[in-house]
Amino acid sequence: MYFRCKNCGANVIYSPERHGMYCPYCESEGSDERAEGQTGALTLCPNCGGEVSVEEHTSATQCPYCDSFLIFNERVEGEYTPRMMIPFQMGKETCKKSLREKFKSCRFAPTDFLSEARLNAMQGIYVPYWFYDYKTVCQFHGEGTKIRVWRSGDREYTETSVYDVRRDMDLDFEKIPVDASIQMPDDVMDLIAPFQYGQMVGFKPEFMSGFYGEKYNMPSAEVENRARTLMKQDATKLLRESYAGYSSVRTLREDISVQGSKTTYGLLPVWKYIYRYKEQDYPFYVNGQTGKIVGTAPFSKAKFLAYTGTLWACLTAFLALLQILLGMI
Amino acid sequence: MDEKHSMEEDVKKEARRQYLRYFRFWFLAVAVLAIACIALKLSQGAREVPRTNSEAPTERVYDYANVLTDAEEADLREYIAQMEKKHRIDIVLVTFSQSVEGEEAREKYGLRSASWEQNMQDLADDFWDEHKFGYNKGFEGDGALLLHNWYEGQNGEHLSTSGSVEHKFSLRDIDEVLYAVDEYYDTNPYKAYRAYVKELCRRMDTSLSLPFSWGFVVILPIIIVLFYALIGAVQKKAENTVAVNAYVEGGRPQMRNKTDGLLRKNVVTRKIETSSGSRGGGGSSGGGGHHTSSGGASHGGGSHRH
Repeated sequence: MYFRCKNCGANVIYSPERHGMYCPYCESEGSDERAEGQTGALTLCPNCGGEVSVEEHTSATQCPYCDSFLIFNERVEGEYTPRMMIPFQMGKETCKKSLREKFKSCRFAPTDFLSEARLNAMQGIYVPYWFYDYKTVCQFHGEGTKIRVWRSGDREYTETSVYDVRRDMDLDFEKIPVDASIQMPDDVMDLIAPFQYGQMVGFKPEFMSGFYGEKYNMPSAEVENRARTLMKQDATKLLRESYAGYSSVRTLREDISVQGSKTTYGLLPVWKYIYRYKEQDYPFYVNGQTGKIVGTAPFSKAKFLAYTGTLWACLTAFLALLQILLGMI
Repeated sequence: MDEKHSMEEDVKKEARRQYLRYFRFWFLAVAVLAIACIALKLSQGAREVPRTNSEAPTERVYDYANVLTDAEEADLREYIAQMEKKHRIDIVLVTFSQSVEGEEAREKYGLRSASWEQNMQDLADDFWDEHKFGYNKGFEGDGALLLHNWYEGQNGEHLSTSGSVEHKFSLRDIDEVLYAVDEYYDTNPYKAYRAYVKELCRRMDTSLSLPFSWGFVVILPIIIVLFYALIGAVQKKAENTVAVNAYVEGGRPQMRNKTDGLLRKNVVTRKIETSSGSRGGGGSSGGGGHHTSSGGASHGGGSHRH
C-alpha cells in the first residue's frame, strides 16, 4: 500500500513536526487516501510499476523511481501486525541539527562528516521490538550491620549493631523493550533507550509513510533472555535500595521469581545515518522520539596531525615571542 | 568522475576554510606579537643610550695580582664591554695582593683603619672615584667595581656599587654577586670573574619576562597539545540513561514486608592518643650598605672574606 494525496495524487507522508499526514508537493494536510497496487507483486511499485528491491524483512521502503514510500501489507498484517508503536517525533531536519550539535566538538572528524549532502542520506526506520511484561515477587533475607562511632572525653566508642533484614515486595515490570531485528546491533539498541511510553499509540500504517520499516525477524523466545537479564538486574538493584541504610549487608537468601509474563509486538522509531570513510562504515543511530544519539565520530589522521601540529606551533611561537617581547620592554 | 572530483575539491576547500576559521585568533595573536617584537627592536635600535662619561679610562680589568692569563683578560674585557653596552653601567675588576689589615696596613700603606673590611671598602671606593668610572658621569656614575685581594690569609672580595647599581642593590644582591665569585675563585679565577659580571648584570636586568625558562616555552605547548589531542580523540558511544525503575509499574515496588530486627549489639572503647609539636622560623634583611667615600661620593657595597 501507499498513501496518495486526494488533491494532487502525490505520495503523502507522515510529518513528525506537524503530527499528521502531509503532502510535500501541494502542502495539503490530511488529504491522504490509501492506495493498493494493481498486481499485488511485492517487488513492483504500486504507484509507478518500477522494480523495487525488497529485502527479506523489509516492511516499508521507498521506490527508487518515483520516491513514493511503500508499505507492504503482508508484513504489517496478520501475525506481523504490531500492537503498538511510537510514531516519529523528530523530523530529519531536527535530527541533523542534533547530530551537528553533538559532534561539533569532535575536531578530528572528517570535514564532510556532518555535511548536508551526507546527512541527507539519513533514513528513518521503524525497528521491530518485543515488549515484555513481568509480574515478579522479590524476597530478601540477610544480616545488616550498622556502625556508630562517638567520642566522650579522651575515649572513643564504637557501637556495632547487627540486624535481621527481611524484604518481601511485588515488582511489576512493563514493556521491557528488546529489538527483534537481526540487522540492528543489540548494544546500540540498548543504549538508544529509553523511549517515553506516554506517546505509545495503536498501530496505524499511515505513521509508516515517509519511513523505512522492518517486520520482526527474531522470535520472541530467542531474545527474551535479554529482557529477563535486565529485569533481574533492576529487581536486584531495587532490592538493594530497600536496605541501603546499612554499613554492610550479608546475604542469606535472595529470590526473584516471575509469577506471570506477557509479550507484545511493536515498532519504535530510529534514525540511522551511515557515514563511509576510508572503506569503513560508521553507523549512527538517533532515537526518533527523544533524540538520543548513539555512535562515535570517525577519526581523520590528516586533520589530527594538522590541528595538533598547528596548535603546537602557534603555542610555541606565542610563548617564545612573548618571552622575547617582555625581555625587550 | 568529474562530479566526484568536484565534490572532493569542495570538501578540501571547506576543510581549509574550517582550519583557518579555527586558528584565526591564534594566527592573529602570533602575527601581532611578531610585529610588536620587530617594532620594538627597531625602536630600541633607534633610541640606544650612548655612553656620556668620557673622563674614565677604557680599561676595565686591572689584574695586579696576576691571576689571569692575557687571553683570559682579553676575553673578560670583551665580555664586559658587551654587557656594559646592554645594561648601561660600568663594570670594573681589580685584583691585587697586599695586606690590608692591622698596624702593617696603616703604617706601611697608609690605610686609615686596621680593619680588613673598612680598608677593602676604602680601596674599592677610592679606585672607582679616582678613575672617574660611571657610565653616565664621572662622579657617582652608574656601575660597580669588584676588588679582589689575593694576599695570603686576607683573601676576599669587596663589591663597590655606585649610581643606579647602588640604588638598586640590597645587601642580599651584593651577597649573591659575591657568592657567584666565591664559587669558582679558588679553582678558576677567570670563571669566577665572568660569574661576577653575569650575576651583576642579571640582577640589574629590569626587562620583564615570563615566569618560566626557555625550556618551559618548548615543553608547555607539548603538554597542552597532548591534552588537546586526548580530549579531542576520546569519545564515548553513549551513556546508558535508562533509570533502574524505568520499566517498573508505578515507578516503585509494592513492599509487602519490611522488617529490621535487632539481633545483637556490642560497644568497643579505646583511649585517644594526643600529640603536640611546635615550629618556628625567622629571617632578616638589610639595606645595600650605603656610605660615603673619602672623595665624598655615595657608594654601596659589601665584602666576603675567605
